[in-house]
Amino acid sequence: MKSYRTHIMLCAGTGCVSNGSFKVKDALEREIQKHGLQDEVGVVMTGCNGFCAQGPVAVIKPDEIFYQFLSVDDIPHLVEEHFLKGRPVEKLMYIPPSEKAPVPKMGDIGFFGKQRLIALRNRGMIDPEVIDEYIARGGYSALVKALTKMKPRQVIEEIKQSGLRGRGGAGFPTGRKWELVAAAKGDKKYLVCNADEGDPGAFMDRSIIESDPHSILEGMVIGARATGASHGYVYIRHEYPLAHKRLIKAIAQAREYGLLGKDILGEGLDFDISIQQGAGAFVCGEETSLIASLQGDAPEPRVRPPFPAEHGVWGAPTNINNVETWANVPEIINKGAKWFAGIGTETSKGTKVFSVVGKVENTGLVEVPMGITLKEIVFDIGGGIPKGKKFKAVQTGGPSGGCIPASLLDLPIDYEKLAEVGSIMGSGGLIVMDEDTCMVDVARYFLEFLKDESCGKCTACREGIDVMHGILERICQGNGKEGDIEMLQELSEAVKDSSLCALGGTAPNPVLSTIQYFRDEYESHIKEKKCPAGVCKALITYTIDPEACKGCRLCAKNCPQDAITGEAKEPHIIDQDKCIKCGVCFDACKFDAVLVK
Amino acid sequence: MIKKASDKSDKVGAVLVVGAGVGGMQASLDLAESGYKVYLVEKGPSIGGVMAQLDKTFPTNDCAMCTLAPRMVDCGGHLNIEKLTYSEIESIEGRAGNFKVSIRKKARSVDPDKCTGCGECVTQCLVKNIVYLEPPDVPKVELEADEQTKIDEIISRYEGGRESLVPILQAITNEFNWLPQKLLMRVSEVKEIPIEHILRIATFYKAFSLEPRGEHIVTVCMGTACHVKGAPRILERFERELGVKTGQTTSDMKFTLEAVRCIGCCGLSPVITIGEDLYGKLTPAEAAKILDKYRD
Amino acid sequence: MSKIKPQDLEKIRVRMARTMSLRDGDAQAKITVHMGTCGIAAGARKIMSALLAIVEEKDTKDIVVTTSGCAGLCSREPMMTVELKGQAPVKYIELDEEKTKKIFSDHVLSGKVVKEYALAIGSERVG
Repeated sequence: MKSYRTHIMLCAGTGCVSNGSFKVKDALEREIQKHGLQDEVGVVMTGCNGFCAQGPVAVIKPDEIFYQFLSVDDIPHLVEEHFLKGRPVEKLMYIPPSEKAPVPKMGDIGFFGKQRLIALRNRGMIDPEVIDEYIARGGYSALVKALTKMKPRQVIEEIKQSGLRGRGGAGFPTGRKWELVAAAKGDKKYLVCNADEGDPGAFMDRSIIESDPHSILEGMVIGARATGASHGYVYIRHEYPLAHKRLIKAIAQAREYGLLGKDILGEGLDFDISIQQGAGAFVCGEETSLIASLQGDAPEPRVRPPFPAEHGVWGAPTNINNVETWANVPEIINKGAKWFAGIGTETSKGTKVFSVVGKVENTGLVEVPMGITLKEIVFDIGGGIPKGKKFKAVQTGGPSGGCIPASLLDLPIDYEKLAEVGSIMGSGGLIVMDEDTCMVDVARYFLEFLKDESCGKCTACREGIDVMHGILERICQGNGKEGDIEMLQELSEAVKDSSLCALGGTAPNPVLSTIQYFRDEYESHIKEKKCPAGVCKALITYTIDPEACKGCRLCAKNCPQDAITGEAKEPHIIDQDKCIKCGVCFDACKFDAVLVK
Repeated sequence: MIKKASDKSDKVGAVLVVGAGVGGMQASLDLAESGYKVYLVEKGPSIGGVMAQLDKTFPTNDCAMCTLAPRMVDCGGHLNIEKLTYSEIESIEGRAGNFKVSIRKKARSVDPDKCTGCGECVTQCLVKNIVYLEPPDVPKVELEADEQTKIDEIISRYEGGRESLVPILQAITNEFNWLPQKLLMRVSEVKEIPIEHILRIATFYKAFSLEPRGEHIVTVCMGTACHVKGAPRILERFERELGVKTGQTTSDMKFTLEAVRCIGCCGLSPVITIGEDLYGKLTPAEAAKILDKYRD
Repeated sequence: MSKIKPQDLEKIRVRMARTMSLRDGDAQAKITVHMGTCGIAAGARKIMSALLAIVEEKDTKDIVVTTSGCAGLCSREPMMTVELKGQAPVKYIELDEEKTKKIFSDHVLSGKVVKEYALAIGSERVG
């Protein structure tokens, strides 16, 4: 590699790519060439940087300057100013929502400042498609340590001591799992990396695979050393084409170097990994249905025990861990259990990656120590709620989780604390909701999702969720009746108690937690037939504020129903009989004259 | 269950219960206990039904026999229950309170009063009643020459049996945009996987379609982040623009509209994809404009 | 590339070290070449190329070469600032390739400030 003086670490994660980072890359290289800087400035395409909402983003090394919203048109100016003349370009820098002055350095931006990177240690620092860069940052050294200096027993002990728990959601101690598989009898054993990231609103697994695929492979080889497994599968969603591509490449490189395959590093360990793509079924994230899917059977969960540790893929002992869990393993082996256990809370050690999305200023992926409060995540890292709106709730844990209200914002996050308030850690989706989000609609949304995704094996889950969804649908339509809330609570218990897997077992959580904390919203839907947040279509009306309306005719032109009448320069009126409440007028109005009530 | 006194008509006598599974037996027992004479008709040679063949019951994992056996014993010995096994109903006439039912009792050739159920006769009998199933006639799949080469090439890429099924279906979807039935028949033929299993898998996953899809597949992400940021309104807008419902294809086969659960680009919500291209941070109006690019 | 052994990983790490130290940002020495319009006109580009050539040749690690805008002292360009970890930055003026080489070997590698080319030690106060 040439000795450049500057590296442009341009993000090539899915989000930035969709906003044109490859076009930006071409433009950068063209301009750099034009100024004769091709031997001094190098462009490196990294994995997901995490600050997806600002994409395409780039970090300039070694100056640590952070640029956002890069477009092809900005590039000539940027290259000339920054790389030729050494003057960073302010207008491409990040400006915090409440301030005017830009923040040039990445470390000073609140979004990055509070983060502590373990699983995401290499994000934005390496080109994920070059194995040498991973190795240069200490990659595969943990594997060497595990192979040459540690016995399998010691590797397991180290992971146990570290207190690492499953990052997929349930939080089962990883070391304990490995121990079970290592102790299980069988000629062949398997490892599985669960990358079927089904929770809507979570994308850390995609990001880790896109930005640092080797960390997972290394974690799995260490796992093979500890448990005696001979083959590994990575089960990845088909919705993640880029991550899939990078993983294929990483596995090929690792095989070429002899880090996978027969006699790894000449130390006598045989282990290889193959990839299986999912095909779009939420339930496949559940371990027994994932195994069924791997084998080509209908992916329905089965009764446990026997647990996969005894009876997994092809009936052999199998250890399944989530992407983020695997990515933590090499760091723990390298830095020791004590170091890892020193981070986090009493029961939950280390860090957790969250995807902070929804109604929040800085959306993206953050890795923070366990025990951080929700407030810090939403306000310090997330930058608060856009447009000065009021914070209402945070939804964690995807469809299995619950909504946490503003009164609990000081809650330190760990597995137990989240469970106490009726939610779960889950895979780490953290969806922020503001005053414009209707909590009844959110509950309805999750049940609609689960109704679709229930595999249909257990009656209570299949029928119960459907009935609950029907009730919520009715409430949102304005046809709720007294007793509906109680009925929902009763059904919730039934569905929880009589479903085999976690899909049904946790399905009522969104309903129960919204009833617990936002009962008043349910009641105003049922009793007053009003949706306070202005979301439920049947319960809202669009009107035009005659004071604010300038009579520009824009809304009338866009209305698909021709429901808006009024002369130019006169206030317009919406004919409520014709209105289908599509909201087009609301979006079209430039003067905020369309009101939703 | 039974409405007694309030019902004015003078319905008296006995009750006929059809089927002596666990449900039939419990019903008979309840009726018999409340004083009715019960006729319990069962097609099979013994009472007990399917539950007797099960090991565990769902979802509590209780032992099936432990639940069933006491009921079988009670039913078997109850004086108010007359068991008509190995029998089938031929006709029912009349109305509530006055039914006339004719039942055909098949020849058992064993005196049930004397039989102890030792099973010795079964082992001693020289004629064994073993049923052999003829393999069903599966017509050979007729394909066009180029289809044949393409599908066989796809199948040959993947080794193994059932575990190769999902990858094969994915490859077919990538190539043809959907899963034509005759290609699935071919997969069934080559891989020796029953077509029923293939169809079960193909209908389980969201990524597969058994109907032809349009040239451009428009997917609207319905993940939570997208949902709170207005994805349902984008979906609605597309439905209006394209004149189809979610999951349908326009009549000119240009667009298929689909909703997907989460693309994992929550930072850019709300997000849609058209083919391989991804668009984020959209309003319904902007989303509608994007369609024009693909309309040519 | 054939199969590798544990010690080969270390070799790759050494080979990649310079690239990586650039990204970590905790280099031992940071050399800033002032490349405003005036600096470029006075030949800062040549200084930059020379520096990069030396870095390449000596195969040094932990040294970052970067640029900044005009330092304000246009008459004494080309200029550069050398900053060793934990020490005050030193500004050098009126450079040519020979001077650059000397500064590199004496100051950057051996820690001896080349007084005859230096303008001042320390930076302006900001604010």
